[in-house]
Amino acid sequence: MLLKRIVATEGEEIEFRSGKLIVNQKEMEEPYFRFPSDWNLPPRVVQKGCVYVVGDNRSMPIENHLFGNASLKRIVGVPLW
Amino acid sequence: MVKMKWVVLAVLAVVTSIANSACFLQTEEKKVKKQFRHLSEWASKERGETPITMAQRAQKIGTLFLDPCEFKTHIEPFSEALTPDEISSYAMRGRSLFTVLDLVFYDMKIDLSEERVAKVTVTVKATGRLKDGENIKEIHELECLLKKNEGGWLFSRFEVVEVLKR
Repeated sequence: MLLKRIVATEGEEIEFRSGKLIVNQKEMEEPYFRFPSDWNLPPRVVQKGCVYVVGDNRSMPIENHLFGNASLKRIVGVPLW
Repeated sequence: MVKMKWVVLAVLAVVTSIANSACFLQTEEKKVKKQFRHLSEWASKERGETPITMAQRAQKIGTLFLDPCEFKTHIEPFSEALTPDEISSYAMRGRSLFTVLDLVFYDMKIDLSEERVAKVTVTVKATGRLKDGENIKEIHELECLLKKNEGGWLFSRFEVVEVLKR
């Protein structure tokens, strides 16, 4: 079981620029995000029937972080707080 | 009255056959789970394992697989069909890299809708320590296929599922 944050939904374009999350060409505010990140990820469109999930620990190298398109069918719940 | 008797008997026959097939499926499910328990037990390694135990376990692992068994993973792009001997040999080499290894299967879903075939979706967690001191923790979802032959349920396919696609 993985606990990840949904940052974009089907058809939206997502990318990372110097650690900033960009969705549909707009920089997103992420108050929950506490540590510096240097992630860069070229733009990509969220696949059909999927959401794009990313964890909050983005101070770790992007290569080691588990994130990406997740099928809606795989979502089993939400955190309670 | 006679008709009623036949209706009751027919209902009883249907109920009995449903109960029998449910019981049969339950038994088969237990046998499939047992193969995963064996794989977990024989692949895991405790500190100070002797070379004889290591060889025995590697050989036992080979007995759980059909000839050939397909393996597919996206992590290190790999897709190959291996014989039980080759699997034992890989297991031997793989386990020898570790001082301690623990392999656990959980969240298992077994589909026995096809005759003599079990489709299993399962999560595997491998934790251990390499001989150079590095700690390993890997969790992956697997899709496995087991087929039933004279020797019981044997693994025929292993595929690592890519849960998150970048």
